[in-house]
This record gives sequence, C-alpha cells and structure tokens, in this order.
Amino acid sequence: MIRLATDVGGTFTDLLGYDEQTGKVYSAKSLTTVLNQSDGVMNTIKTAIKVDGLNTQNVDFFVHGGTTVINAITERKGVKTALITTNGFRDVLEIGRGNRPDLYNLKFRSPQAYVNRQLRFEIDEFTDSEGQSVSEPNVSELKKIAAELKKMKVESVAIMFIQSYANPHNEQVCKQILEAHLPNVSISCSHEITRLWREYERSNTVVLNAYVKPIINKYFHSLEQALDAQSLTCPHYAMLSNGGVALFKQAVETPLNLIESGPSAGIAGAARIGELIGEKNILAFDVGGTTAKCSIIVGGKPIVFSDYKIEWTRLSPGYPVQVPVVDIVEIGAGGGSIAYIDEQNTLKVGPKSAGASPGPVCYGLGGTEPTVTDAKLITGVLDAENFAGGEFKLNLSSARAAMVKLAEQLELSVAETAQAIIAVAEANMINALKLVTIQRGYDPREFTLVISGGAGPMFAASLGKELNVKQVVIPPHAGIFSAWGMLAARPRVDLRKTWFKKLNQNAISSLHSLIDTLKQEARAYFEISNDQNIDFQVSLQLRYQGQEHSVTTRIHSDILTDDIKHAFHQAHKTAYSFNLTDAAIEITGVHVVGELDSQVITNPDIKDENWQIEDAIVGHREVYLGADMGWRKCRILLRDKMPLNLAIDGPLLVEEPTTTTLVLQNQQIIRNSRGILILKTIGGI
Amino acid sequence: MLNPKINADDGQSIDPISMEIIHGKLLALVNEMGIAMQRTSMSPVIYEVLDFACGLCDTEFNLIAQTNGITLFTGTFSAQLKSVVEEYEGQIQQGDIYVTNDPYRGGTHACDFAIIRPIFSHGVLVAYALNVAHWVDIGGAVPGSLPPDATSVFQEGLRLSRIRLAKNDILNPEIVRIITENTRLPEIALGDLNAQMATVRIAESRLMEIIDKYELQTVNDAFQNILVKSEQKSRATVLDLPDGIYTATDIVDGDGVTTDPINVQVKVTISGERIIVDFTGCPPAVAGPINCGRGALSSAVKTVFKALVAPHEPSNEGWFRPLEVIAPSGTIFTAEKPSPTGWYYEGSVQASELVWKALASLLPERFSAGSYSSLCVIYLSGHTQDGEEFIHIEPTHGGWGACQDRDGANAVISLTDGDTFNYSIELLQAKFPLRVKTYALNVEGGVGAGRYRGGYGIIREYEILADNTLLTGSFGRNQTPPWGIHGGQEGSTNRFEVIDGKTGDVAIYGRLNERKLFKGDVVRIITGGGGGWGNPSERPESEIKADIDLGLLSAKRAYAEYGYKVAEGGCDD
Repeated sequence: MIRLATDVGGTFTDLLGYDEQTGKVYSAKSLTTVLNQSDGVMNTIKTAIKVDGLNTQNVDFFVHGGTTVINAITERKGVKTALITTNGFRDVLEIGRGNRPDLYNLKFRSPQAYVNRQLRFEIDEFTDSEGQSVSEPNVSELKKIAAELKKMKVESVAIMFIQSYANPHNEQVCKQILEAHLPNVSISCSHEITRLWREYERSNTVVLNAYVKPIINKYFHSLEQALDAQSLTCPHYAMLSNGGVALFKQAVETPLNLIESGPSAGIAGAARIGELIGEKNILAFDVGGTTAKCSIIVGGKPIVFSDYKIEWTRLSPGYPVQVPVVDIVEIGAGGGSIAYIDEQNTLKVGPKSAGASPGPVCYGLGGTEPTVTDAKLITGVLDAENFAGGEFKLNLSSARAAMVKLAEQLELSVAETAQAIIAVAEANMINALKLVTIQRGYDPREFTLVISGGAGPMFAASLGKELNVKQVVIPPHAGIFSAWGMLAARPRVDLRKTWFKKLNQNAISSLHSLIDTLKQEARAYFEISNDQNIDFQVSLQLRYQGQEHSVTTRIHSDILTDDIKHAFHQAHKTAYSFNLTDAAIEITGVHVVGELDSQVITNPDIKDENWQIEDAIVGHREVYLGADMGWRKCRILLRDKMPLNLAIDGPLLVEEPTTTTLVLQNQQIIRNSRGILILKTIGGI
Repeated sequence: MLNPKINADDGQSIDPISMEIIHGKLLALVNEMGIAMQRTSMSPVIYEVLDFACGLCDTEFNLIAQTNGITLFTGTFSAQLKSVVEEYEGQIQQGDIYVTNDPYRGGTHACDFAIIRPIFSHGVLVAYALNVAHWVDIGGAVPGSLPPDATSVFQEGLRLSRIRLAKNDILNPEIVRIITENTRLPEIALGDLNAQMATVRIAESRLMEIIDKYELQTVNDAFQNILVKSEQKSRATVLDLPDGIYTATDIVDGDGVTTDPINVQVKVTISGERIIVDFTGCPPAVAGPINCGRGALSSAVKTVFKALVAPHEPSNEGWFRPLEVIAPSGTIFTAEKPSPTGWYYEGSVQASELVWKALASLLPERFSAGSYSSLCVIYLSGHTQDGEEFIHIEPTHGGWGACQDRDGANAVISLTDGDTFNYSIELLQAKFPLRVKTYALNVEGGVGAGRYRGGYGIIREYEILADNTLLTGSFGRNQTPPWGIHGGQEGSTNRFEVIDGKTGDVAIYGRLNERKLFKGDVVRIITGGGGGWGNPSERPESEIKADIDLGLLSAKRAYAEYGYKVAEGGCDD
C-alpha cells in the first residue's frame, strides 16, 4: 500500500512515497530531463528501487506532476495548429482584448497569437445567444477547409464557434465532419474544455489545448509504457491545476488542465495539512528560488478560478485561458532574488533572480550578485557546512565579498546589509500575502500560515509575526512539498457553465435540472453511477444587475432563493465591503465540483521514541537577529529528533535535509505528534 | 537603527530600506483602491474601460502614488484637489468627503466625479485620498450625458463643483437627492459613489497602518523622497536630450457641430533640464464638445512626457517638475465656462499627439509613428424586448504607428486609454438587442506603408435587433490620417457607417449627434491603420510577401505601395 508522487520541477525531479501501513518514506531526486521529462521521472523511480528498496508492485496510487504543458506553450514547441471559427471572427484570436496595460509605452503591442491568420478559417454557422442552433456549418465548405488543412500539413485543429458556450451542437457537427476527413489530425472543440462565455478567452483556450494535445498524448503514452515496464501498473494519475488529479487517459483529452500542476499540488497539500491540524482557513505560501506563490484556503477548500493568464505580467495581458486553476498570487521574491541599489538609491530585491544556475554567490557556481540566500547565509540562518543535508558546501566568504559593495553604498555593515535585504524581501512577501487576504476581505488573524518551499521556512517566523496570523505551520518535507501535496490530492472534476438568468423562482426550477445534468456529467467522468463516492460542491456566480464581475457563492443542497440571496449579500460584503440588499441579482454561471471520495495521505502519528531536547540539539550558531537584538547564539535542532508536543522557546533554528526554519525571540515551536512543526508568537493570538 | 542615508533636498532624511518598504506599501495601497473600484463598480465604463483613477496626495496637493487603468488622469489630481481645499480653507475635518466634477477647475468632463477624503492622524491632516471615476449618466441632453453636438456645458449634465458630500462620515442626504434626481440611472450612480467612497476609506485605513508602524515623520519623509528622487531622474533624462525648439502641426477633423478642419500646433522647447510645451497659436474654443480644459491639457502633455522620461515607473508629481505647459486661456485646449467639454478626450488626445509628433524623431526608442488616435466611441441606446432601457457605450481599438524597429501594433486602444478591454461579443449579445456580425482587422482600409508598416485597425459590424435604437458617435481622424515618419506613408482614417436595412443605403459619419435605427439596420465601425516608419522601398520582399500570405495586403496594394509584383500563380487577391 504505497502512495507514490513524482514532481518535475525546473531543476530537479522529486520522488516521494509513503507506505501507509509501515510508515516507511521513499524519496529520490534526479536532475530534470528537459527533452523528455519522463526520463527524469523514471530515474527517480529506479533510484528509489535501488536505494530504498521500493517494490513497485506494492504501489497502489501513482501521481505525476510536471511542466511539460506549460513548457511547450511558453517555449512555443507545440504542433502546427489551425483554428476554425464562425464567419466574420477569424481575427478575434489576434485582436485579443486590445488593452494596453503598459500605459505609457508608445511601442506596445499585444502578444502574438498562437495560430497565424493563414491558419485561421471561417465558416458560416450561427447559434443565437439563447443557445438555439439557427444554422449548422455547411458540409461541403468544411470539406474544402479539410482539404486545405491536409495540404498545409496541419497536425491539430481547434474549433471555436461564437455562442457555443450556450450550445455545443454546431461544434460537434463540425468535429464529426472533420474527423471523417482528417483521420490523423487531433481535433479540440472549445466546449470540451470550457463552457464559459467570452469568445477571445475561449478561442485562446481551445487553441492552446490543441497546440499541445498531440505532444502530451505522446508523452503520457510513453510514460505509461515505461511505468508498466517497471511493474508500476496501478492507476496512473496526473496532477491537475485545480488541486485534484485525473487519470492519464482523462488528462490527455484536455491537457491544458495540467498547466499549473506544481503550485496546485502545494495548495492541495496545504489544505490537507489544515485537515490534519483541524484548521479550515489556511494561507499557503511557497517560496522557491525565483518566485513565491501564495494562495488562500477558506472553509477547507482551495479557491479555484477559471481566468488564469499564461505569461501575464503587470505590463502584458498574457494569454487568458478558461481552465480551472487554483487562485495563486505569484511574486518575484525567492531565495535566488538579486539585491541591488536602483537609480533612485533605494534598495531593491528581485524580481531578477540568479535561479538555480548560476545561483546565489555562495553556491560558487559563477553567481556574482548578492541574493536573499547569501543574506540568509551571512546572517547565520543557513549553515555553510550543512546545506541541503550537507551534500553541498556554501561559500560564506564569497557571499560576504559580494555584499561589500552594497554595504558601502548603504553605509551599513555587511550583516546589516544582509538583514536589510531580508527585510525588503519580506516586505514584498507581506504585500502579496495581504493581497490574497485583507484585499479580498479576509482577516489574517483567522488564518494559519502554511509555509513551504526550500526558502520558505527561513521566513516563517517574521512573516507570521508581521501578518499576525493565528500560527505558522511548517509541513513535513517542506522543501519538496509539491510532491507531498500530490499524495493529498483526490480525483476531481470542475464543471463550469455560463448560465445567464435573473435570480427568481423561475430560475430556481431550471437551476435544479442544470445542476442535476452537471452532476450526471461528473458521474460519467468518473464512470460511476451512484453519488456515494462523490463529494459534490455547488456554487453560483452571482452579481447585482448591472455589475460585470460576479462573486462565487457556495450553495447547499436545498436550493432556495432566499438562502442564495442571503449568501450572496454576505459574500459580496466580504469581498467588497458593501452590499446592495435591494438590488436585483443575476446568475451568470454555475460551478459544480465533483471529488472522488478516496484515500489520501494520512500522515499518521509518529512513534514516540521519547526524544529529549538534548537529543535534538546538534550545535549552536551565531545568528544576526536585526539591529535591536544583534548577533545571538542560537540552538540548532534536528527536526527528526525533536521531542513531540513540547513547546521550545526561540530564538533557535530547526534543520532538516530540504530546508531550515528560523524561530525568533518570543516565539515557540512545537513538533506535534504527526511531525508537523507549529510556530507561535508568545503573546500573539 | 540603520544609519540615515538619503538626504532629500529639503533636509529631511530617511534610510533607503524603510524608503523601499514604505513606497511598496503606498503602491499596494493605491493598487488595492483600484482593485476594489474595478470589482465593485456597476458601470461598464469603469469595470471594462477602467475609466477611473485612484491615488494619494500629500498636504501640498502633490501626487504621491496613483493607479490608473487609462492615461487620461495622468497627473490631474493636484489641481482638482487644490480647488476643493481652497474653497473649504480652515473647515476641513476628519470624516469629511468631498465631491467635484468641474472641467474648468482641474477636472476633465462633467461625467468624471472626483471623490476626495482628507486623512488625519491624531488630529493632524496628513494626506488626501482621491478617486475619480466616469459616471455613466449624470443627466443632460442625452442618455450618457455626452451630446456630440453640445454647444454649452449646461447640456452635459449635473455639475457639483467643490461640494462637501459627507461630514463625520455621514452622507448629506440632500446632496445624494440632488444626484439621484439628476441622473437617468440613479442606482448605478449610487453604486459607483459607494464604490468610490469605499476606496478612499481603504486608503485611509492603510495609511493609518503605515503611520502607526513607521511614525508620521518617516512617512512624510518618504513622501518627499518619492517626489525628489523622481524629479532628479526626470531632469537627468531631459538634460540628455538635445536642446532645441521642436514644432508640430495637425488638424482636428470637426468639432461635432461642424465638419470644418481645425488647425492646431505646438512648440516644444528643450533647454537644459527643462521642457516647455507651448500651445500658443491654437484656435479659440470651438462650438462643439471636443474642447478640453486646462486640467485635461496638462494631463495630455504629462502622458507623453511620462512616456518620454519614465514609462514604467510609478507615477507621482516629481516626474513632472521639469515640465511647463503654456497656453493662453479660452483656446480649444484651455476651454472656459460655458464651453462644452463632454468629448474632451477627442481634443486632448490631439494635444498629446502634437507633443508626441514633435518629439518622435528625438527618442525613436520610445516613440512610434502616428496612430488612429481617436477613442472612436459609439453609444447605442434604446429598449430591450422586455422594455428595459439599455445603453451600450463602446470605445473602439485601432491601428498604431510603426516604430524604428518593427511594424505597428494591430488593434490596440488609443493613447487616451490604456488597460481598456474591448467588449466581449458574447456578453453584449446576451444583454443588448444587438448582433455582432463581424469583428476583424480592417484590411480593406490598409495601413501606412514604410520600411516598417503601421498596424491594422478593426471593422466591427452591429446588426440592430430592436426598433428605435439610437446611435451616437464621435470619431476623430475621420479626414486626416495618422502621420508617417522618415518617409513612412500616412495611415488610414476612422469612420462609421449605417447601412439601412430596408434600402441598403450607406451613410458615412465622422461625428454624429443622433440617428434613430430600426431592426435590420447595420452599424459598421471602422478604425484606421497606423502611419509607416521609413521609406517603403526599403521594406524587404520577404516581409511584403508575408503580409500577402496572411491576407493583410492585396496584390494590387503591394504593387501600388511597394512596387511589388506577385509572381504568376501566386495570390491574386
């Protein structure tokens, strides 16, 4: 009974496995194989077999997360793709939304469309906004287009008709005809991926899906074969962007759903940690080498949106896609973020990052610009001799040397400069964490901060203090938490549909049947006929008449107009600080989530070996704790040897192979009976 | 404590770490105001067009931080704020909220309502939070309050010039009643007012948190530091530009009342670290509403100046200190009461473009050739099948000019706007009795040829589904095409057409006061292509051929514009 996860990251591919019966942990690491990520995955499995004695026949759950989809898109390595759309609208994909977020750049242009004008075809067809198919696409016209596509050697076709969100019929007709004439071409219809309105976003969604579909199909097929060859024949799951997993055969149909599988796994993991410690409101924060990602979990469930934008920046509209993605705010602050003095003589940290290569100065791999990691080494939080479990020596003197120039400019000591870099990086992180909490109407004091990523736990103490959260949690395997999170994910399907009606008694009765239909689709997706094993959550997109943006409002099994109104007024007030109780309400969409009620990682109690604090202390280190405290001698504890359920006073450091946790003065840390670290500020709430 | 380091000119000091952290918090503060505004507003012109701005000013009215989705409010806050504070000298109290929408006192047009909140800390005034937003209707002669043939501001709806709206955080019900009784859409007006007030209150609580943590003196030092550092950088950029006098002329195509061409001009003097932009010689205010007031003119010039000195830096008053704008009162760009200013952005964009045109050769890495310029706004209003009133307001995207190193941008929004989305066809078809038949690049209109060609405009066709739908619109550059540069050709013009559903007659418009439409009529909106950069003869054949293959350039045009002959058997479009 082993659950096994493999997570392909930018630099490393991680494997993490748990034997639910014996508690044995399997872990392995391998360099990510860029050309074919499945090679790296298989390398970790082979390592786990060799080193940890993994018996693949005992694996009953295998999950895989990777960056193949996002890489193919951002590196423009998809296949030759064509678009067929309604007459008059072939330029919609190129025009996009026409916005110029880079306001004062007189040379701005929109991102280039993934299908050029020559490969965009139009056909006469019409579905009205009520969802009536008024005229079907013409067969002989389609045959001509098919012949043209064959001549142009198109490998994948996207079909997107105006108003198909209201009725997929015409797209289905088109697909049938094309399939008959283009047997070896992959065909994606917009309604198969999204049933939401907004023609540009839906076009972009289906085009990007079509662009990667043949590649992903091939990739999962070869991975499946390789796994089978290693006798790893249990069901194979892929990590989705919505915090759930899907069987490989489901994932390859709509590969765009894999776009953000890594971050989504971390959030699934944070939600599971919440369950294990009995907390429903979680602020998940993962700090990697280049970026930090934060997300909020309310009522035990991650928030999932369908307006994700690939390559979006403050200055570029990016490529919006209507697939369910956990709500993430990402900022350019990580361990590799570079510190510098800008033209206005202020100290900046990031978004430029030294990444994994050359990496921070102290890695000794050619980096010359001081980074956050260098600052953490100089202030004593990191240990030069014992980084990454001692596999990797850090060079303190080169980190200090790189910091000297900044220190001179700032007229500070090297340690003060390092502390200043940390303070600025933390301020950036705080602004992002506030964006997902206070700015959305949530009070951080009601939240538990779950902090992960190799660089995250170094910031846990000060972020927790500044945000005034209830407590800070450092989960097990914090440095490879995405892999852990995958073991916590369940098979999940998100069914979203634009459905535009005024909220009144008439709407309620048709709403019932719509929700039933969507639930039926979920059952069909999971290939089961009863509801016993499916956990359904239903929400509505609601707004006051006249508004554009809707507020997601969860509803319960009894669908009553007054209850819905009440819940919406409440949700609107939370999100926007006011509500309009007399205004008419409109429904714009229905969202049904189906989750298969299945086993996830249990993270059982650790066998208490009656550790004493003396067993855990492996030494002491001088740590610079800021101008007020100066350098202080701190105890260094090994996480795996810490006594259970004992509150230990800071300042101190907790070390484990993938990360280091700093605990400040007036804070306490507890290793609970499941091995989870809980950090609290004394006198805090 | 860390050593004080940066010495501001006025002798105040703050360490660079606190500086960076406080500045980050101030930007997060205005950002949060913007997010709240966009998500709570009830009018499309705010949530889709982002016709609003939020910001924070110091007690001397200097803009400290601002977020705007469009450029029209670049640096408009100070003058408006000053007009209000001068009116209530000595009477401004904690808990007050003010409103003003006066185009002759720093404002833009009457539709743009500024909400102002003085912020106090322990009884001391420390800053002002502002939110300016376009209200969808404030009464006046036509729905939407912007009659394109207005000849007086009194046709452009309610003006609340420098009015105290709330005391002790209690709204004055009489003023609220004046508002609700003077708009066609009182619920939306109140919704937007609520949203605006919520954002200035957000600013207040966030600033309080910052002051509590860093103390007032440090925050004040940070304010001054933000201004001084931006000013220094701005002066340095101007100093690097060659001294000289740079001029440009252009034509405004009609004012909405008549179609007569209006000649406008600018003289830009660069001298050391100063720039003087002089509009002397421009004609007096015109009869129609394309005039702009001095506040809007200043914003128009600041927009291009910002593009020149710091396109990506956060906005504040410091950047603009090297800039001086000269213009006699009462001109088309400095209109005075009661000249109409409803469509002021049609005038102000031409002021921006004059400065742009004068400076384009000076800094080619920042500028492009002329664009379609006009926001090309149409209004379609009437009643849905259920008898409900609707107003569909839509700015139109168009072609931008070519640059020194690449072709112009296709179909992006005009300079006056910014993060402005086009209206989703599916959304509007679900709401309004309109059917969009085409949304395409305007290939037939063409673009300015050149070594690099201009970008393409768009064609958007609406079939009218309800009788008695009213159409209004005002498109600039309906006669005078976008300018090319260094031998690049002129682009193409903007217009809109009505195709009569019964007779098939086509009427062509640049600016139209009002036309009643019937079921089956078609409105065709056409925006122009941008100007070219460099001589067309220098454009490589491969790039000409690529445009032909993409269906963007006909064989006939390829020959006419580039002397390029399509090979036998090739595309003969």
